[in-house]
Amino acid sequence: MQSVINRLRPLILGGLLLALAPAAQPKNVKPDPNGLPPQDVKDLHYGDVLFYFYQDDYFDSITRLLAARQLGRIPHTEGEAELLLGGLYLSLGEHVEAGRIFEELLNKNTSEAVRNKAWFYLGKVWYQRGYLEEAERALTQVSDKIDPRISAERYMLLAQLMMREQRYDDAIAALSKWHGAADWTAYAQFNLGVALVRKDRLADAMPYLDRVGRIETRSEELLSLKDKANLALGFALLQAQRAAEAKPILQRVRLEGPYSSKALLGVGWADAGMGEFKRALVPWLTLRKRSLLDSAVQESFLTVPYAFNQLSATGQAAEYYSSAIDSFDAELKRIDDSIEKIRNGDLLDRLLNDDKKDTLTWYWQLSTLPDAPESRYLYALLASNEFQEGLKNYRELNYMSRNLDNWRDNVAAYDDMLDTRQEAYKRRVPKADAVMAATDLDGLTRQRVDFESRINAIEKSSDVAALGTPEEQQMWMRLKRIEDYLVTHPDDPDLAEMREKHRLMKGVMYWRLSGSFKARLWNERRSVKELEAELKETQKRAVLVKQARAGMPTNTGAYAGRVAAVRDRMDQLQQRLADVSAQQNRFLQALAIRELEGQKLRISTYQIQARYELAAIYDRASSDKPKAPQP
Amino acid sequence: MNSKHRVVSIILRAALLACAWTAAAAQTGPADAAAAPAAPPAATDAAPAAAAPDDFKTLDQEVQGLKKDVIDLNKDLFVLEEELLFPANTQVALYVSMDVGTFFALDSVTIRIDNKEVKNYLYTAREADALLKGGVQQIYLGNLKVGKHELVAFFTGKGPVERAYKRGATIVFDKGVGAKYLELKITDRLAKHQPEFTIKDWE
Repeated sequence: MQSVINRLRPLILGGLLLALAPAAQPKNVKPDPNGLPPQDVKDLHYGDVLFYFYQDDYFDSITRLLAARQLGRIPHTEGEAELLLGGLYLSLGEHVEAGRIFEELLNKNTSEAVRNKAWFYLGKVWYQRGYLEEAERALTQVSDKIDPRISAERYMLLAQLMMREQRYDDAIAALSKWHGAADWTAYAQFNLGVALVRKDRLADAMPYLDRVGRIETRSEELLSLKDKANLALGFALLQAQRAAEAKPILQRVRLEGPYSSKALLGVGWADAGMGEFKRALVPWLTLRKRSLLDSAVQESFLTVPYAFNQLSATGQAAEYYSSAIDSFDAELKRIDDSIEKIRNGDLLDRLLNDDKKDTLTWYWQLSTLPDAPESRYLYALLASNEFQEGLKNYRELNYMSRNLDNWRDNVAAYDDMLDTRQEAYKRRVPKADAVMAATDLDGLTRQRVDFESRINAIEKSSDVAALGTPEEQQMWMRLKRIEDYLVTHPDDPDLAEMREKHRLMKGVMYWRLSGSFKARLWNERRSVKELEAELKETQKRAVLVKQARAGMPTNTGAYAGRVAAVRDRMDQLQQRLADVSAQQNRFLQALAIRELEGQKLRISTYQIQARYELAAIYDRASSDKPKAPQP
Repeated sequence: MNSKHRVVSIILRAALLACAWTAAAAQTGPADAAAAPAAPPAATDAAPAAAAPDDFKTLDQEVQGLKKDVIDLNKDLFVLEEELLFPANTQVALYVSMDVGTFFALDSVTIRIDNKEVKNYLYTAREADALLKGGVQQIYLGNLKVGKHELVAFFTGKGPVERAYKRGATIVFDKGVGAKYLELKITDRLAKHQPEFTIKDWE
């Protein structure tokens, strides 16, 4: 069974991924020979969600997706993200939420392919969880324009759903119209045959079951189905008192297969039905050596002495009945012990002991049982959806409880962090206040305005000397002073040479200053602009500092409030998780005990029958004894 | 009850068992064949109804609601953690993406910011595969002051024809008051049959 479950996993996973792939992001397709242009990521945070999704880490993926959606970080991939969210909820077993999202989304402009796959997987999960009405509604939404294998499985699920609801006529009608993939045909025919048998239409069922019972195949699954078909048909014929026809069909069941015990039982009954009790003993005695856990073997403990009795071997019959009673006694004792252990013990935790605990996936199934006495009775349970889905719920609750425990440490650290921030704030506030007090931003702004006005005035008056270097300005001032002196002595002939020199030097100086005036003016204007930008930045920072100063206690308080609120929610949820986990535990224990009680009841019935038969033999033996002579 | 009568009762029970079995064996197809019950033998009488299907549904619906609440809380914790530890005004997030990957198989990425190593990440096959399928990994989430910063990323792995390959990419970026996102992109340069490593600044 384990190998088939392992094989099942990639199939289902592949299916879900396929269902979501068109929505997820159809990038990174291998290039065709001509090459494909690289595709850009539309939203980084959506890519981040996919990174976890593609690693089957659905819990991290959904957390990031919900966070990104709340923070408005996936504006370009909103539609795809919503569909993926539905798929993720489904993967985590949240079929109600997934159904809500799909129903809302799939009524919009979603492609038919995506819509079909989403409805199909939703229907399948609902079917597995026993929500048959919802499953049927979802599965009937799927159109025929879908992958033939999915289409085949969809019809098969619908038919099985109808059979579970005992709507055999509906199932027969659905399966009669079957036109599916070739490898599914055998399953359709088998199911159709079963439905017909259930409607007492054996003659109609025979061709279908017979055809499946004769298929040539090497596939283990189809061989298994072939055995089932032969067994079903054989027992149906036995029930119809057609033992001679039943025998060759039952003999087609493989001796080494999982159904060989029931087939051996049936072959024996076919022989017995034809009055061939000696022949019947051959399969029944073979069967009697097998494990008593098998119901067919249990029945053989009665059929063997019955055959001996029919052959008038009363002694052997009595011996076998007596042995059966002892075996049934021992088995009942073992079952009682197991029930007691399950009732008092930690069955589920032991079942999940070897489980890889760090992932949540919807296709998870328990495939092996721990090596414990009660395990031998529980294999039938493993095959039931109810038990597996319940166990999956229990496992998921445990996972979520561990997840919250992990957060608990982080949340405790947030408290410390907020305290530290508060302390740091208290230390920094006086320093910040001192810096702010020493900074006259208004004065600086006024100075900048004055400076700009001066530049404007210089430009307007073309005061070239105003922008000269300090040396040039010094020189210009000296020339100015000389000029003033010369003005006051206009007629002094001794100053004629000096006047000429002054005129020449002033001309050179003016030439030099006016030559660089435009460049200097541009530089000054640039400085003014830079000053303006820096002042603006300083003003902005000053505002931020003021806001931070005023807002920090509020911020810290708001965070502290949020931390306290999530802590409360964590406590409440942990309590609910513990309660529901315990309920789930009790439910699964009850299922296990119901299974064992069922087995116990059956064995008890066999035991009563064995005792009765033994008593009857003794009765007959005593009545056959020659009567004592009358005195 | 005579012996023949009892035999008939056994046969009938066997037949009932077969019928119960056939119903249980109804298949959904190859995938579910394995999961089909290995014929839980029908008990002769009704088994104790300790756990009816309705119980399962009631409990299942309670579990559904509870799991949804835990998922929501987990999201709130995730958002709270990010806002608390990496406020938007200092937050810097680095992402790694890989397009096609024909010419490069990623082994590791080393990241230095302002000449200080902040991350050295080794990829598992599963992670590299997730990148190839279109996932984008948030490789680093940290805090930086407003202003200019230099980022250098080194990518190591297998290049064309399985050769060991190490390449770098660098960017000088401005960290403003909002969160800064940078994408380290590995793409295939088809014309040269070589991988290409670039850094995209998401404004």
